Amino acid sequence: MRQVIIALIPATIAGLILFRIRAALLIVICVFVSIATEEVISRIRKKPSTITDYSAALTGLLLALILPPTTSWYGAILGSIFAILVGKHLFGGLGMNIFNPALIGRAFLMASYPKMLTTYIKPFAADSISCATPLALNKFSQIGTPLTDLFFGGVSGSIGETSAICLIVGGIYILIRKIADWRIPVSMLVTTIVFSTILYLTNNAYGSPLFHILSGGLLLGVFFMATDPVTTPVTKKGRYVFGITAAIMIMVIRVFGGLSEGVMYSILFMNALTPLINRYTKPKRFGA
Amino acid sequence: MIHVEEHKDPQQNLKSESFLLPKKLYLPISQHVGAPSKLLVKKGDEVNEGDMIADVNGFVSAALHAPASGKITEIKTISHPSLKQSQGIVLNCQHQQKQDSPRKNIEELTSEQLIEIVKNSGIVGMGGAAFPTHVKLKPPKEISTLIINGCECEPYLACDCRLMIEKIKEIFAGIDIIRKLINPKEIIFAVENNKPEAIKKINLAISTKKIGLSNVRLAIVESAYPQGGEKQLIKAVTAKEVPPAGLPFDVGCLVFNVATCFAIYEAVHFSKPLIERLVSFAGDALVKPKNVWIKIGTTLKELFDSKVLEFKVSPKVIVSGGPMMGVALTGLNFPILKGTGGFLFLANTSKVDESVCLKCARCVDVCSMNLLPLEYSKLVKNNEFDSLDDFNINDCIECGCCAYSCPAKIPIVHYIKVGKACKPKK
Ligand code: SF4
Ligand code: SF4
Repeated sequence: MRQVIIALIPATIAGLILFRIRAALLIVICVFVSIATEEVISRIRKKPSTITDYSAALTGLLLALILPPTTSWYGAILGSIFAILVGKHLFGGLGMNIFNPALIGRAFLMASYPKMLTTYIKPFAADSISCATPLALNKFSQIGTPLTDLFFGGVSGSIGETSAICLIVGGIYILIRKIADWRIPVSMLVTTIVFSTILYLTNNAYGSPLFHILSGGLLLGVFFMATDPVTTPVTKKGRYVFGITAAIMIMVIRVFGGLSEGVMYSILFMNALTPLINRYTKPKRFGA
Repeated sequence: MIHVEEHKDPQQNLKSESFLLPKKLYLPISQHVGAPSKLLVKKGDEVNEGDMIADVNGFVSAALHAPASGKITEIKTISHPSLKQSQGIVLNCQHQQKQDSPRKNIEELTSEQLIEIVKNSGIVGMGGAAFPTHVKLKPPKEISTLIINGCECEPYLACDCRLMIEKIKEIFAGIDIIRKLINPKEIIFAVENNKPEAIKKINLAISTKKIGLSNVRLAIVESAYPQGGEKQLIKAVTAKEVPPAGLPFDVGCLVFNVATCFAIYEAVHFSKPLIERLVSFAGDALVKPKNVWIKIGTTLKELFDSKVLEFKVSPKVIVSGGPMMGVALTGLNFPILKGTGGFLFLANTSKVDESVCLKCARCVDVCSMNLLPLEYSKLVKNNEFDSLDDFNINDCIECGCCAYSCPAKIPIVHYIKVGKACKPKK
């Protein structure tokens, strides 16, 4: 878990540079409240303290990174409490949760404060000039975004999702250090490229494959959400199933759905299917 | 398959010693797979070394012989390493010189007679499983490949390795008897590559006209755990997989451990039943690790009392068998059985508390039988015994690779054993 936090450092720094004090505040609030919630729950349940396993800190950091920079302080507090309490401990605590807790926190805020969670601002700006995300611009206004901006991070979006290069650096670290299995990230990326290429060839307006890879929460989801061992399949075949299906769902939502982004819902949906996937992708029985 | 710390040095290089004059022997009548042997003696009886004291009792069962001359002092419940307790015979030894009497006309013995000799010698698989050998020698299907198992993949243990180094001629003579009985197309002698000295001896034996058999081939396999497991070994040397719930003869194979071959040789050539075996004693709590020839039924306590073994420090853990599949013992009052290859005396326990499963899937990656071990510990903890069969728990060979690799230190094999015992019988 500590290793994943280390892998998130580049993206966190990018978020701080782009969104300054707003990002700093949200990150501090989310991490602190997540850890505090975890500690309170352990004390109530009379279990040994678990904050040193870094899992609550990671959930807090991930939640902050997938929130829009303009999220209010109380939104951040509520989201963090919900992530730890409902997303994690209601299922029985670490290792028992079905859904990624950070995504549960965000989904809760999305349902409670839809406006807050869909309002984005320009980066580097002192005051909040609201500005749609590249995916929304492309989908609803047919306005493209330069790929270099997506790559380096000069676009609007959630705190940690806008700088593709920083996420890629962290993702490579995760794969090289074997912190997570490569099958889900690789199959998700390949499927996204294949699927978006096909769509792009039928209609340029859907956005190029590179655009889809670099924009929105895809890289953050691929490297940091879909690699959470607890909520993803343990079988090798199952990991391909997870990665391919999640990527297809993301693309379907992005291109044909009512929303501009589908990473969160797709991964949550696949989390729910994970026990089933495990069951039906058991390795070949010895001798069978 | 996993790679574990082997700890074969110095064990593999220790010449075997003997301790064949114990004072008292404790002989459980269940030392094998199958029905316990049928008692032939009662309290007060005098027996001679090699006398049958309990007979085969049913189709899958084995006989038991007096390892030494003496008087039966008691028939009672005695400690048993794996069953905890078993009915057994207590023998007070009065040792007498016994001369080996070589059997004549071995060439003229029929198959039936040979199998009868094996049966009446109480021979069982000595690699740990202790399946009655005479039953195995009458396979219901044709056998194309006879595999001699010289892989000793459990860390620390080296009794099979020593036997190959010291008694290769006798092992080959035993193989020759098995060959006559089952008439295989080929014989594969499988050894792990971490036993160079044994490999040298086997090669020498194969190339020596008088000892070597024409269709024996040496297969050097990678040293890994559990390479010596029957199903794993068959796959390693023939690329065939024994079907679930199947036996080696389903793929035309039969596997015999080297010590079993040696026991067959002694039974046929010298009319000597299985009353002794070579045992490894290892671990850092001992002053000196040893490989010792011991009478079946000798207790660990007697070995320490008579200074055959000595403690450097008092052991924290005593294990019958190897560290991967062995069972922890509660003391020294346990006898050595036909299937016991060794004992481990460790000065330290690295006992770490079990933490929660993070579904890292390492157990899945290393499982020798392609199972999902994490499901077993989860289901057993939740008392969901009905679902264990959905994950083919019976395929599990309890090799321990999963628990060994688990970063959360979950004793998965413990849960598997509980699960197998508690699940509804079909
Ligand atoms: S190795 Fe241990 S922690 Fe990892 S999945 Fe298996 S049981 Fe869980
Ligand atoms: S589940 Fe059984 S066969 Fe698989 S590694 Fe564990 S003990 Fe061995």
